Amino acid sequence: MIWATWRMERSLYLVSLAVLVVVAVALVLAGAHQDAAWTAFSNLHCSQPGSSSGCWSAAESYYSASRFSSTGVVVGFLVPGLLGLVFGAPIVAREIDQSTNRLAWTQSITRTRWLVSKLSVGALATAVLVAALAPVFQWWTGTVQRGDRIIPPNFDVSGLVPIAYALFAFMLGALLGTLVQRTGWAFALGLPLFAAFRYLERTYVRSVLVPPVDTSAVQIAPSNNWVLNQGYIPLGQSSPGRGITWQSESASMLNCTNPTGGKVVQSEQHCESLLKLHYVVQMQPGSHYWALQLVEAGVFVAGACVLLVLSVVAVRRWRT
Amino acid sequence: MLTPALKTTGLGKRYGHTWGLRDCSFQIPAGRIAALVGPNGSGKSTLLRMVAGITRPTTGQVRVFDQSPAEQDEKVLRRIGYLDQERPLYRSFRVGEMLKFGEKLNPNWDSAKARQYLAELNIHIESRTGNLSIGQQAQVALTMCLAKRPELLLLDEPVAALDPLAREALMQVLLRAVVEDGTTVLLSSHAIADLATVCDYLIILSASRVSLADDLDYVLASHRLLVGARDTSAPAGSEVIAGLHTERQTNLLVRVEEPIDDLAWQVEEPTLEEIVIAYLRRAEARSTSFFEASGVASGTSERKQAPR
Repeated sequence: MIWATWRMERSLYLVSLAVLVVVAVALVLAGAHQDAAWTAFSNLHCSQPGSSSGCWSAAESYYSASRFSSTGVVVGFLVPGLLGLVFGAPIVAREIDQSTNRLAWTQSITRTRWLVSKLSVGALATAVLVAALAPVFQWWTGTVQRGDRIIPPNFDVSGLVPIAYALFAFMLGALLGTLVQRTGWAFALGLPLFAAFRYLERTYVRSVLVPPVDTSAVQIAPSNNWVLNQGYIPLGQSSPGRGITWQSESASMLNCTNPTGGKVVQSEQHCESLLKLHYVVQMQPGSHYWALQLVEAGVFVAGACVLLVLSVVAVRRWRT
Repeated sequence: MLTPALKTTGLGKRYGHTWGLRDCSFQIPAGRIAALVGPNGSGKSTLLRMVAGITRPTTGQVRVFDQSPAEQDEKVLRRIGYLDQERPLYRSFRVGEMLKFGEKLNPNWDSAKARQYLAELNIHIESRTGNLSIGQQAQVALTMCLAKRPELLLLDEPVAALDPLAREALMQVLLRAVVEDGTTVLLSSHAIADLATVCDYLIILSASRVSLADDLDYVLASHRLLVGARDTSAPAGSEVIAGLHTERQTNLLVRVEEPIDDLAWQVEEPTLEEIVIAYLRRAEARSTSFFEASGVASGTSERKQAPR
């Protein structure tokens, strides 16, 4: 069945490989160009007094080179989902559409074995292709975008999570293909469903997958921290208690530091001690990057496993 | 008693509100070639798909060598060969790749036999299945079934796309399989004349029900065609299957247990085709009279409700 699946799907896999090679080459060229422009600009030390007269044109050429910067991230968002759905949707749907399921299901192999073999080959192909692109995106978010991988758009396209997203999309496509029995419809339904899963996870689940850090330190590292919430909180607490929000105390602080009606302007420290407040930043620091990557990848891989089991049940119970 | 190759009890399949097959009980002893005949839409394909384990029955059960194909056990799947009505093949595969597919998925695969059949049929191993003629696709699909070396071979309209020579060749292949390997065959067909030469068991399906399921020799021996003057009453102990009345004559096809010695009737032996048609006519007449009866009833109620 491994050979048979490869034989059935190989043209799709090879065409996808060719497309991804083109995408990777385009990203590498655009990224190298942008990186070179940045190096040229930094070597001029333009922020120091008496800087070179070439600063203006160097900055201009950097901005023109960086116009693909967000395109790379958009491609990184699209590739795992599209590839997974394109590979997953036809796995069962095409067989039912062309009635070849009646041929396959009357050989000396159970439907469960048949489906699990097909899905294993397809999932492996999906994972390999997305993993092959991973170094390009790791480089893109690191060298080209200069770090901050913990912060959402970069987090989504770097590390392990794109492979897990692709596996999830693949199994979603396969299940929908089994249920609606049409490749096109499975793809059309899978796209918004996959986007919805990703959006909900990203908005409501990711930030608490690993317990966030609350810090009241006055000076926190300025970059590579994913700030979730910040605000004035009563002393002795590290997060807003019942009935108050992160913004509840801002008004009283503002009233103290910039009072109206001719009162004396107070310093921030003075107001904090007067109102018994301190400034707290809740965040996922850069050091949580791999922990968050692993847990989030685990969530999507577990989801993919659930979808796999549902597909097996659907194929075993399939009736006409 | 030997385990029958196939036994169905109370088998039924419902599609929405209509029954594709209903209350179907029969058995086929091992080593027989059974013909499944019936008009279009009588449930032949539905029955074969349920026996092959592709479709789940709504009611009743199927036993193939006393095992249930619906459980999708490899031990049962291995014993059944199934040729679908649509002859599905992977259209991008070459013929040789279809054989490789069969070889990888079936432990009893007979590779030499498959290649020999295709060579005899002049079907090139390197051709893509999608480029073959309909008849050749049917031959490749059939070769796949035979090379699996099943103990029960289910063929849905196997001769439908074949020319007369290919039909003859197919019948020889089936006979050889039965003689050499003891294969049991259940095949559906419209071509009743072709079947008479090879089949030794007959199942007639009409209006989603089994009208007859019996040994072919017994079927031929137990039916008689009677010709007599109009309105002569049927001989005692005979069951009238169908009757044709002209102004002066009555022709009856009857089922009898004992020889008829009623001098009022001229007794002839019917052909297989005449017997099959008589059963199909009877089923049609029954469903038509039912339809008419219900039509009259609803017509009456409509008149009552009509405003005056």
